[in-house]
Amino acid sequence: MDDLTRRRLLGGTAGLVAGTAGCVGGDANTDADATPTDRELMTSGSSDVDFDHPSATGINDQPTLGDRSRQGVIVAFEDPSCPSCRRFNQNTFPQIESELLAPGDVAYVFRGYPVVYEWGGPATRALEATFARDPAAVWDLKAHYFDQQGQFSTDNVLDRTRSYLDDATDVDGSAVVTEVSEDAAAEAVQADYDAGQAAGASGTPTFYLFRDGEYQTTVSGAQDFTVFENVLLG
Amino acid sequence: MMVSLPTRRADWRLMGRTARLVVTIPAYAAVALAATVAGLTAFSLSLNVSLVVDTLSLPISTGSKVELLVSLYPFVGTAFTPLQGGLLVIVATTLGVNVAMVAYHFREHGLSLQQGGTSVLGAVLGALGAGCAACGSAILLGLLSLVGVSTSLLWLPLDGLEFAVVALLVVVLSTYWLADGMRGGQINGCPVDV
Repeated sequence: MDDLTRRRLLGGTAGLVAGTAGCVGGDANTDADATPTDRELMTSGSSDVDFDHPSATGINDQPTLGDRSRQGVIVAFEDPSCPSCRRFNQNTFPQIESELLAPGDVAYVFRGYPVVYEWGGPATRALEATFARDPAAVWDLKAHYFDQQGQFSTDNVLDRTRSYLDDATDVDGSAVVTEVSEDAAAEAVQADYDAGQAAGASGTPTFYLFRDGEYQTTVSGAQDFTVFENVLLG
Repeated sequence: MMVSLPTRRADWRLMGRTARLVVTIPAYAAVALAATVAGLTAFSLSLNVSLVVDTLSLPISTGSKVELLVSLYPFVGTAFTPLQGGLLVIVATTLGVNVAMVAYHFREHGLSLQQGGTSVLGAVLGALGAGCAACGSAILLGLLSLVGVSTSLLWLPLDGLEFAVVALLVVVLSTYWLADGMRGGQINGCPVDV
């Protein structure tokens, strides 16, 4: 990676981290103020890869931060309704962004795996529908689900999703909700679920770590940054 | 058979005195410490067996391997909240004392299956509790869904750590039964009765 690209990614992730940190406080509108061009930079132009592991089936079509051809790749199976996933996203993920993604050493692939509470299912389908419209906005919506996790239920998840997307992103929230209601995104969610099942993911969050294209290990739970750093760069 | 429960203050004092007398013997204090560390290790690492095994063969330095494994424990890494970590440490410590009492009772008086079995049950439940705490209730929800309980009906205030609470109750019960079994005897020359 040349220095210019490295600096652009560093700047891009810094903006992303700032946006996420603002979101932790619970003000959804701060996400809309994050630098969209930086997000687009982090979520576009990833290389296609072919990892020989069930968790990586179809990862070239998944939401990804950074380039999948980097030294380290984290394939994360997460459920928006999972409390441990929330703690991971609030405690560990920001450090992964700033210290592993920003320097250009690691890429992060998200896969929806709704296995905990019922509202995680429609939320995961909404993430897929959002990703199809705006690869950057899916990260905002994911952060929103975790930041406001206690406010969501099966009854209100679609209404709250529509409101958030309309207010805080450029994505048409009504179109996403309609697509979720019609099960149009179910196939994409099923592909993630099948990959997780094939890989043996027994809960969430579960992470499959790759280094130089080779599978290294599986990490379960909201583990510390140290785990990811040592496996991928240690 | 009548099952006796620690319902009176004197029962808890008996438990405390018996446990204290056992762990003040250096050899049994070592047993308690070793069992506590083993229990906490089992609780913390049980969810990441493949990570622990794979770490040994990863192309990273020994220092990195040690740092990685230590970070899986409560209060060192982020896998457990302070509440979850505190509860697991309490379960592990109680289990350690319990194992020391089992060892003492076995050596001095023989041991009934009920008393030994409840200790093992407590350890298994503790590991399940740690697993559920770390993986977002999925194990517990998966188990309940097997018997037809809808996940939408569940509300888990401790995010799955309910197993660890049950484990603590089981280990405390086991400890009480052990102490009750030693009632009237002596430990290290001191009477057990309170």
